[in-house]
Amino acid sequence: MASRLAGWALDWRLWPSWPRQVRSQWRRSLQFRTVAITVGLSGLAILLTGAYLSFSIGNDLFQSRLQQALAGSGRAFASAQSILDASDASERVALQQLMGAVRTDLQATSGSNLIAAYRAPGQDFSQVTPPGFESPGLADGVITDALHAAVRADPDSLHWQSVTLTGADGTSTAGIVIGSEISMPTAGSYEIYLGYDLSESEQTLGFVQRTLFLAGIGLMILVGGAAWLVVRFVATPIRSAAETSQRLADGNLDVRMPEKGEDELATLARSFNGMAASMQKQIKELADLSLVQQRFVSDVSHELRTPLTTIRLAGDVLYDQRDTFPPATERTAELLHDQVGRFEILLADLLEISRYDAGSIELDLEPTSLVRLAEDVVEELRPLAEPTGSDLRIVAPGGYAAVAMDPRRIRRIVRNLVGNAIEHGEGKPIVVSVDSNESSVALAVRDYGQGMSREATERVFDRFWRADPSRKRTIGGTGLGLAISLEDAVLHEGWLEVWSEPAGGSSFRLTIPREPGTEIVRSPISLPPDDAIESIVDELTVPQTRSLPIVPRPQDRQDDARG
Amino acid sequence: MDTGQAAPPVGHTRDGAMNARILVVDDDTALAEMIGIVLRTEGFEPSFCADGGGALQAFRDTKPDLVLLDLMLPGIDGIEVCRLIRQESGVPVIMLTAKSDTADVVKGLESGADDYMVKPFNPKELVARIRTRLRAPAADIGETLRIGDLTVDVAGHEVRRADGVIGLTPLEFDLLLALASKPQQVFTREMLLEQVWGYHYKADTRLVNVHVQRLRAKVEEDPDNPKIVMTVRGVGYRAGAVTG
Repeated sequence: MASRLAGWALDWRLWPSWPRQVRSQWRRSLQFRTVAITVGLSGLAILLTGAYLSFSIGNDLFQSRLQQALAGSGRAFASAQSILDASDASERVALQQLMGAVRTDLQATSGSNLIAAYRAPGQDFSQVTPPGFESPGLADGVITDALHAAVRADPDSLHWQSVTLTGADGTSTAGIVIGSEISMPTAGSYEIYLGYDLSESEQTLGFVQRTLFLAGIGLMILVGGAAWLVVRFVATPIRSAAETSQRLADGNLDVRMPEKGEDELATLARSFNGMAASMQKQIKELADLSLVQQRFVSDVSHELRTPLTTIRLAGDVLYDQRDTFPPATERTAELLHDQVGRFEILLADLLEISRYDAGSIELDLEPTSLVRLAEDVVEELRPLAEPTGSDLRIVAPGGYAAVAMDPRRIRRIVRNLVGNAIEHGEGKPIVVSVDSNESSVALAVRDYGQGMSREATERVFDRFWRADPSRKRTIGGTGLGLAISLEDAVLHEGWLEVWSEPAGGSSFRLTIPREPGTEIVRSPISLPPDDAIESIVDELTVPQTRSLPIVPRPQDRQDDARG
Repeated sequence: MDTGQAAPPVGHTRDGAMNARILVVDDDTALAEMIGIVLRTEGFEPSFCADGGGALQAFRDTKPDLVLLDLMLPGIDGIEVCRLIRQESGVPVIMLTAKSDTADVVKGLESGADDYMVKPFNPKELVARIRTRLRAPAADIGETLRIGDLTVDVAGHEVRRADGVIGLTPLEFDLLLALASKPQQVFTREMLLEQVWGYHYKADTRLVNVHVQRLRAKVEEDPDNPKIVMTVRGVGYRAGAVTG
């Protein structure tokens, strides 16, 4: 969990995976998401405020500079006109001198070095009129035709226009050009333009913008940091609660959350710890109960078995001498012998079931060939099958390789399945198939006896359940056999399933993983046996199809449906 | 009681080999008495001890040919009694246990018991187990055999490495002899159960596993890297090649 705490500091070396990391952080970290949203929204607010401030300040600066320029140029034009009005020059040289004086005056009164004068168009050409002039900064179309036109249209007013001025060193700055007309005696009207540089205002604006930007960044960092701190303050206890519950779930019942202060978070921690303590208490009680149960089972085992052994020995001694008894006593000895045997099996099965319930069983794994094991069981049970007339066959395309299993338990399952098949097989052949695939080995026992109804197949693994209570049992049994077999299969992380059809016989399939602890992908043997597939296909094509009566494993359905 | 009637007729049939002394250590007096009746019927000579504390003394006093030992005893438990007996004798010990759970049985076997019987057992089983453990060693091979760097003196019931004699219990000797007598043969656990323990049906293969471990601890120079009793993975065991 510490890695998740540090997780949202991005690793610069892994930049190609950033988008994925950010997305996953967005999903996984409340803290990251909150900080990101806070920074994003406050950033937007700061951006809008900054933009407005910047625009407004820029505008103010321009306006004041413009007013200043207009005032300056107004004075300059008035002063120049008064100089002209006072002069009586009419000679070429005098007029030129006059023009020079006007230029000097303009320069002095306007506070601008950028001056241009053009003789207004539409006047008669005269030898005496001095030519116009222009400062280099105003050359090359800085003064637009629109401004020229405006001045010509209204010669008595001041006209201005924003322009881009190019300095002597080639740099561009914003500027204003103000134009008006003055009239010179004899020579006629001249358009005069004065250029004002705005670079100073621009510098001021730039400074203000930089300041705003830096302040905005600083503010965002501050807001982000504050959000991070606040969220961290809240999220850390939540994360700690999550980690603590995770560890609780992992079985570490002693973990608790730190309890500090009296705020809501402390309340959370306290209630959480209360819950954990109560859970621990209940689990401990259950565990104690289970221990008591296990000890009880063990005690019952010892206490019941010892007298049962004495009874068994006594019964057998009497049974061996029954020939010497009167007939009634002889029969009594036989009944005692048989029922002690039955009692013994029932006790053994009950104790085995109790052990499953107590979860106290460990598998004794040993590499074993399932085919060999099946052959052994079949040979062992063949004498039982002979009286019924059932022919026991083994079909084993695979499953010869040794696989880790508890042979005692697997043998018990197989013996049980084959025994059941003999009992319910009605003297027809019984086929034991063994096969394997990459994930599992499987064994199926198929009989062609009376089969079972769908309800029966659903209950066949229930404890003490009997398919037909009125039926006479030949092999005997406690009604716990299949329940025990199922438990044994589950201990192997395997499957034990049944397929059956009334009058079509039954097939029980045991599948266990090739490697203990690995998952079975599918069983190598199809559960509805291959020889039954035709009848199933027939059945499935009939409109009222019914699902196959298959018992426990949902993940096996597709396998079965396909089979 | 009928016991008096049942015992005398067989009492007369005593003849040498059948007259084996058997010590029954069990705290349940009814069961002990019943086992006694069965044993006498079969011509054995039982003696009894009802608690773990006195078991070792009773063993020393009666010098039995075989011990039937209950796993749960007042005083010292059966596993400890078995360990004490094993420290001074290789006499066959058959454990009687009410529990067939892995841990108890394996603990019992590891403490040196040759075989075990889970209660309730029937008299035929009991007698068959006792007979197997008491039977004379296979006398058909009156020679010495070689296995790994060991010499097995069949007649003398001795196993030697170089000059030293290795002390084995009769069961361990039988197990080693079974392997040594057919050096080419790979023995499955089931075959060994039949040949050494006399089980003609499926029995607990843990018997073989535990006793192979005990045997290896005595005869192997490095039990983790066995040279005498070789494991054939997935099948069973076979004798190591003759060396030295």
